[in-house]
Amino acid sequence: MFPAKSAPARPIPAKAGIGLRFQHHQAVLDERPDVAWMEVHTENYMGGGAPLRCLEAVRRDVPISLHGVGLSLGSAEGLDQAHLERVRQVTERIEPGLVSEHIAWSVVGGTYLADLLPLPMTEEALATVCRHVDQMQSCLKRRILVENPSTYLAFRHSTIPEWEFITTVAERTGCGILCDVNNIFVSACNHGWDASAYLAALPPAVIGEIHLAGHAVRPLPDGTILRIDDHGSRVIEEVWTLYRQALTRFGPVPTLIEWDNDIPPLGVLLEEAARAGALMADAKRETTHADAA
Amino acid sequence: MPTLLELQQAMCRSLVLHDDVAASTLLAHGIPPDRLDIYRNTIGTGLTKALRLSFPVVQRLVGTDFFNGAAECFIAAHPPREAYLDRYGGEFPDFLRDFPPATSLAYLADVARLEWAVSGALHAADAAPIDLVALAIVESDDQPHVSFVVHPSVQLLRADYPVDRIWRAVLAGDDEALTSLDINAGPVHLLVERRATGVEVVPLDAPAWHFLADLCGGRPLQSALDRATGLDTSAALAEHLATGRFTAFVLAASGPASASRAAVA
Repeated sequence: MFPAKSAPARPIPAKAGIGLRFQHHQAVLDERPDVAWMEVHTENYMGGGAPLRCLEAVRRDVPISLHGVGLSLGSAEGLDQAHLERVRQVTERIEPGLVSEHIAWSVVGGTYLADLLPLPMTEEALATVCRHVDQMQSCLKRRILVENPSTYLAFRHSTIPEWEFITTVAERTGCGILCDVNNIFVSACNHGWDASAYLAALPPAVIGEIHLAGHAVRPLPDGTILRIDDHGSRVIEEVWTLYRQALTRFGPVPTLIEWDNDIPPLGVLLEEAARAGALMADAKRETTHADAA
Repeated sequence: MPTLLELQQAMCRSLVLHDDVAASTLLAHGIPPDRLDIYRNTIGTGLTKALRLSFPVVQRLVGTDFFNGAAECFIAAHPPREAYLDRYGGEFPDFLRDFPPATSLAYLADVARLEWAVSGALHAADAAPIDLVALAIVESDDQPHVSFVVHPSVQLLRADYPVDRIWRAVLAGDDEALTSLDINAGPVHLLVERRATGVEVVPLDAPAWHFLADLCGGRPLQSALDRATGLDTSAALAEHLATGRFTAFVLAASGPASASRAAVA
């Protein structure tokens, strides 16, 4: 369990936010868009200079969430302590409302495989991830969120369903879950799971954030389709539908629009965030009606 | 059943070295081994992009196809050692120097060295400039033993070719400047540093560069002054101090009489 600590200075509201990338730094500084919160990749702010200046300026107006992509919580050989220390330093400097990482691995034998690689869903992997979430929470002196991955393959010796794996991580470590609705859709399509059943298996009380993004659809030679989580387009209708289900189950949750490839003008991200925000407002009204009835 | 470590080692062999033998036996029934390509492609694309961001001028000099091919060979030989990709690519200049298809561009590795220095300056940690008041009150007996701590963004580079002019012309898209410059104009001595307005590449003359290199290397002030020839060291030192190239100083032990060391941030 993580040590107790006072609440962060700028909590992330249960509203829609956008991922802030370098391409939009100047636009965000110039236009100061009306957005409830923003999220950045922790690894992009480990140095000094202009990027950090921008983030420090933005965080004066907007709560910031730090989303890590490189700590490799699933590494069999343990966490890279130097990287954990860099994460700690960025966290201390930015004082984010949320800190998150992934149910994935990317480091072995001192080599960084620059992707979020799938873990076998085994008791050993579960124990490894839990140990590392504990370490990360102890180091940062705060609760983190862990995100469900998009996966394109599965391992022969996996025994635990992914939704059970991530729920158990939350139960054992006290961390929260970052529910990536697009990732659930992508993985469900790729592996033949029932996306709604996945959502229904997650415990609402520990859902701290939702991610939404677009993905690529690749037809395979054998006639099947593989969906690839490339964050390179708008959220598709099926994922919006799944998002509505998530809101019905979880209530309003901070929701992020992610876009990392073929990044469009800032306005497009704001449109997507507005759509998420409207759906969240609808869900809130429905909840209120249900409470009144 | 493979352990987690065995699985990760097999995946690494597959994704870096294209050896799918072990990894493919781990995949669930019905998953074809070419699914590993999805991850291999993402890794290759991501790392190539990281290299392109750090070496944009090299890319423009050799063209995208050549660059991507060189990057693929480099990534296989030098995969990143840490999840901090701003610092990935330090071996790329040496790799290019020894890369047979690139030997016709003799200056390419030096251009890459300059770009690596620029990248280092761009991503270096922030650091407050030296406390000039504290420096001013150092006892005159101690002044010769002052040695400086250099700002993390300051990089010094010597190259056999006029890589600063090549770099500038390519970035500006100035083909005329590029074709008219004399490749054999002799070596250049460069200072690369991050200022409030961005990263600057400053050509220095050899004496000024050697004096600054001595100071950046931690050589005590008097010793650096004694070695300097052919420049106004007072003016040079004043400029280094005023522009924040040093962040702190140390009083180096000068001998048996002065055993203490003090650091002032």
